[in-house]
Amino acid sequence: MGARELFKIAWQGILSNKLRSSLTVLGIVIGIASVITLMGIGEGAKKEAEKQVQSLGVNLIYVRPGAASNASISQGQGTAPTLTYEDAKAIKETCPSVDEVAAQYNSAFQVQRGEYNTSTTVLGTDPAYPEVRNFHPARGRFFNADDIKECRRVCTIGDTVREDLFPDESPVGKQILIRGELFQVIGVMEKKGANQMTDMDDQIFIPITTGYSTLFGLNTVTGQAVKMVLARAKDGQDLQAQFQITNLLRLRHGVKTPDQDDFQIRTQMDIMQTAQSITGVFSLLLGATAGISLVVGGIGIMNIMLVSVTERTREIGIRKAIGAKFGDILWQFVLEAIILSLTGGLLGITLGMIGSDWIGRFAKWTCIVTPFSIILAFAVSLAIGLFFGIYPARKAALLDPIVALRTE
Amino acid sequence: MVENVVELSAINRVYEMGEEPLYALKDLTLSIENGDYVAIMGQSGSGKSTLMNLIGCLDRPTSGRYILNHKDVFELNDDELASIRNTTIGFVFQQFNLLSSMTAIENVMLPLVYAGVEKEQRIMRAQFALQQVGLDQRMYHRPTQLSGGQQQRVSIARAIVNKPRILLADEPTGALDSHTATEIMALFDELVEQGITVILVTHDGEVANRACRIVRMRDGQITSDSRIRSQKNTPA
Repeated sequence: MGARELFKIAWQGILSNKLRSSLTVLGIVIGIASVITLMGIGEGAKKEAEKQVQSLGVNLIYVRPGAASNASISQGQGTAPTLTYEDAKAIKETCPSVDEVAAQYNSAFQVQRGEYNTSTTVLGTDPAYPEVRNFHPARGRFFNADDIKECRRVCTIGDTVREDLFPDESPVGKQILIRGELFQVIGVMEKKGANQMTDMDDQIFIPITTGYSTLFGLNTVTGQAVKMVLARAKDGQDLQAQFQITNLLRLRHGVKTPDQDDFQIRTQMDIMQTAQSITGVFSLLLGATAGISLVVGGIGIMNIMLVSVTERTREIGIRKAIGAKFGDILWQFVLEAIILSLTGGLLGITLGMIGSDWIGRFAKWTCIVTPFSIILAFAVSLAIGLFFGIYPARKAALLDPIVALRTE
Repeated sequence: MVENVVELSAINRVYEMGEEPLYALKDLTLSIENGDYVAIMGQSGSGKSTLMNLIGCLDRPTSGRYILNHKDVFELNDDELASIRNTTIGFVFQQFNLLSSMTAIENVMLPLVYAGVEKEQRIMRAQFALQQVGLDQRMYHRPTQLSGGQQQRVSIARAIVNKPRILLADEPTGALDSHTATEIMALFDELVEQGITVILVTHDGEVANRACRIVRMRDGQITSDSRIRSQKNTPA
C-alpha cells in the first residue's frame, strides 16, 4: 500500500475525533512552545553574559595582589599591598606579549563643586585605561602620558558624577574639589552602566601618579601599591602573556614555589568560561524543565492512542478481515501519532517564537530562538510521535481479527 | 468433474480452556466445489462460525489440512493470510461491519486500497460493484444514512469488489426483516450465477433452502450433508 493511502487513512482517523485529537495536540504544543521559549531565554542569557564579558574589554588579564591575612583570617584577594605601580611598569616594559597596561588604585572620596556634593570612587589609572577597558570619553579627553609624568591635577568624570555635579552645564574645563584638592575636569566618559558589582559611571578618573602624590598617599614600603593591574595581551597571545606576567612577578617578588604566589592572575577567558558554565547550567535547567512537559505531552499521545485502539478494535478487525496486513495497521496508527505530534510541534514552534518575541519585548530580556532549537523541537516532536505511537500501534496490528470482530 | 475450491481434511480446532481441551471442530472433512452454493446450518455452539473463520483464513486449524484454491493454508504466515482474505475471499457479516466514518463508496473501495489498486481503478470498480447490488444512487451516503438492507448491500459490494472466488456470509439476513432478507438472498443467487462460490451460515431454514447444498453441524462435526439441487452454474 502506498504512503499516500496510509497517510489518508491516518488522517481520517484523526478527523473522526476532532476534539480528542486537538486536545492531544495541545499537550505537544505546550511542550514544544516551552522548549522553544525557554531555550530562547537560555540562549539570550548566554549572549548577554558574553556581551558583558566582552564589554570589559578583550584579551584582558587581571593581576591582583594576594590576600592579606590578619591572625590567619584571610582578608580576601586583593587586600595585600604586594602589587606595586613598579610591577605594572615592569610588565609593560618586559612582557613581549603584553600590548597595554593600566594599573588601578581606587578609593572613595567626597567630591564637591559649588553647592553640589557627592561621594564617589576615585580611580587612579594609566592613559591606556580607555583602550584596555573599551570605555572611552564621550566629551573632552582622557588624561595622557604627559599628565601622568607631570602629575597634573586633571580628571575625567563618569556620567553619573557629571549628573550629580553638573546637572545643567558642560563640565569640561570646570574645576572640582576631591577631598579638598582642586582638580580640573578635562572630559566626561560615555555611559557604560553597571558591570557586575560596580557602577562604571559613578567614578572619577585621575592620573595614578597624581593620585599617589595627593589623595592615596604611600602606604607600602616597597613602593606605590596598586589594587589591580589590567594588562591587555596581543591578539591570540593570552596564554603567553599570562605566563610572562607570572614569571616576571615571581622573579620580582622572590617567589620560589607557586604556592607562595602573592598575586593572582585571571584572564578574560577564565571569566568567559565561568560565565558560560553558569549560563550553560541555566540553559540545561530550562531545557530539562521544558523536556519534562514534552514527555508528559508524549505520554498524552500514547494514552490517547491506546484509548483509540481500544475504541476502534472492531474497525481494526474489519480492516484485517478485508485484507489489511500487519504493517498496514501498524503504520495507520504510527502515522496518526506522528501527524498529531508533528502538528503539535509546528504549532508549538510558532507559539514559542511568538512567546519569545513577547518576552523580548515586554520583559526586556533578550530571547533568541536559534535555528538549532527549531530543528531540535521538530525532531523531538517527530521522535515523540514515533516513540509513543509505536506501542499502541503494535498492539493494534497484533489484534486477532476474530476477537476484534466480536468486540462491540 | 468440477474442481474443489475448498478442501478440508481431518480438521481439528481445539481451544485450551481450563483442564479439558475444548473441540470447536473435531476431525472435520469437507470439500466445496467451485461455483457451489452451500448453506451451513447448526445451533449456536455447533462450530459453524469456527468453520467459517477457518475457511475465511481468519483462523488456523489446530491440526488437519486446508487446501484453499490449491494452496496449503497451514504454511502461510499472517500477512499471506491477509492477502488471501483480500483477493480470494469476500466477507459478509450479520452486523454489516461497515466503517461509519466513511461513505458507501469509500467502504467498498477499502479492500482495493489494501490491494494497492490505483485510485481511478478503485473508483470505477467500486461504482460497478455498487451498481451490481443496486445502490449506485447512494454511493456518497454514510452507513448511518442507509437502511439495514442498504447497508448489507454495501457490505456485499465491498465483499465482491476485488473479484473473490469465495463469498462467505455469516447470517447475512439475521438483522433484516423478511422482505429485505428476500431481496438480499436474490442478490446471492445472482452472484452464484456469476460463478462465485457462496458459503453462508444460517439457522433460517428458508434461507438455507435457496442454496444447492445444505451442511448441518453439531458439536464440531458434520451430521448431514445433502445436495438439494444441482449446481446452478455448472461450468460446461
